[in-house]
Amino acid sequence: MKKLKFPRKLSCVTLASFLLGSASLVQAADIKFSGFLSVGGGFVDDEKGLPYGGYSEEDLTFDSNLLGLQVTGNISDKLSATAQIIARSSDDYSLNSEWAYLTWQVSDNTKIRAGRLRTPFYMFSDSLDVGYSYAWITPPREVYSLPFNNVDGLDVYSTGTLGSFDTSIQVYFGGFSDEVDFNGTLAPTKTRNQMGVAATLGKDWWTLRAAYHTADLWVDVTQAPLSSTATIGSFAQTLGAFGFAKNGDKLLLEDDKTTFSEIGLNIDTGRFVAALEHTELEAKDSLLAKRIREYVMGGVRFGDWLVHLTYSRSKDDTAHPEEGIPAGVALPVVGSTNFLIGTLQAVAATQVETRDVKTIGLRWDVTSGTALKFQIDDVDDEVDGDQKLFSVAVQTVF
Amino acid sequence: MKIFTPLLIAIPLLSFSLFSSAEIAVVVHPSSGVASLTEDDIARIFLGKSKSFPSGAAAVPVNQDEGAPARDKFNEAVCKKNSSQYKAYWSQLVFTGKGTAPKDGGNDAAVKALVAANPTMVGYVDSSVVDSSVKVVYKIP
Repeated sequence: MKKLKFPRKLSCVTLASFLLGSASLVQAADIKFSGFLSVGGGFVDDEKGLPYGGYSEEDLTFDSNLLGLQVTGNISDKLSATAQIIARSSDDYSLNSEWAYLTWQVSDNTKIRAGRLRTPFYMFSDSLDVGYSYAWITPPREVYSLPFNNVDGLDVYSTGTLGSFDTSIQVYFGGFSDEVDFNGTLAPTKTRNQMGVAATLGKDWWTLRAAYHTADLWVDVTQAPLSSTATIGSFAQTLGAFGFAKNGDKLLLEDDKTTFSEIGLNIDTGRFVAALEHTELEAKDSLLAKRIREYVMGGVRFGDWLVHLTYSRSKDDTAHPEEGIPAGVALPVVGSTNFLIGTLQAVAATQVETRDVKTIGLRWDVTSGTALKFQIDDVDDEVDGDQKLFSVAVQTVF
Repeated sequence: MKIFTPLLIAIPLLSFSLFSSAEIAVVVHPSSGVASLTEDDIARIFLGKSKSFPSGAAAVPVNQDEGAPARDKFNEAVCKKNSSQYKAYWSQLVFTGKGTAPKDGGNDAAVKALVAANPTMVGYVDSSVVDSSVKVVYKIP
């Protein structure tokens, strides 16, 4: 959070002018740099078991490092440009522009932003990459499970008071295009008409949050393999050939109305901290399960130490792409409709997660701006069995 | 009386050691229309929840530098946050584009000089440095 004032001849430093081309046109641009760093390592209890949190080895590996830099340039009193670039070890430290937006401060309480923004899915979405800002090394993975966190569009953010309570509301509209991992295959993904609202109500030591999002979602799952010879795409065609095109559609993610809702509570009295969130993701008429995820966390501070316990779980509802296909009807080639039903149910089942995770963690604020964290996650997955993850991280802001 | 003498000496000594950090004054520009502020008003301004005084006039908070004794005492008494919590609070806002932490204005003398020169600023200094160049609107004992 240091503030640097650049003399004009330095204002064309490659990075700054690249990020803030518009700002460098302004004489004596007022540029602020903030940064954050996370260096983390861990090992699992059983490397034959389920990989968790990016860790799959019994030997200590340091695979979740991240360096972020945020640059904000004031173009005028009311207008500023912000960019955040992050280098992650999981991505070979290639630089990624996570955010880049223009902010127009309409009034003291309202701002409009346009560009690439962080989607306000979760309570800690905004500072998701800034581990220093929360107690865990990473927020509970069961809940914080959406593979995309940014949106290209615009939003309006407004703060206010309601009686003696503080309120905020954020409304956005946009969409994004990316590739996400689907059953081990990189699937081109996009959302259109994505919009949402996130609101908070709080006072002193507590904040209540609720959010609702909706979007038309495409995930190209057609190339995902079903067997050595078939893909989801080819199976959808097979369904169509047997006169069950509707069920083929239910297998695919094409322009499916998707909703995501969240409620959360965050408490920090100084001595005690607590947080809970409940989220539901539903993509109608698709193979995606209804994802029902939640966690509850509580902790106590002792000076510079914070001990916390978290219980999080996934309790997904299976999708039913087989609905409408009569059972036991004889068919050529595949024998009977039971084969189609069985395959559809098996595909839908791959999208279901049923898991309990108990976490104990310790945060030590070494100095103001630097925290050392230890965490043990005890995972109990209905399909993949048990696993334990031991992890450690140093996280700073500067 | 002989028994009481050490006690009479000990009491002020004890209270001195318990309250060894001096009184802090929250100050504004002498021309400011603000006569006094409540702890809540000040906390809202310094936590970025409000950008103006209750009267509606613009308010620009200025911090003392990290490590300054007045800063820690002010943050704990008014913002109810120790230095780590204070940093974590702002890191949530700064990296989201939702807020900007108050600027660090230096020590008692530097902050007093800043406030004395800026009619919109509000700062805090050790009471011992207060003079007519600034106006006290709140005191933290």
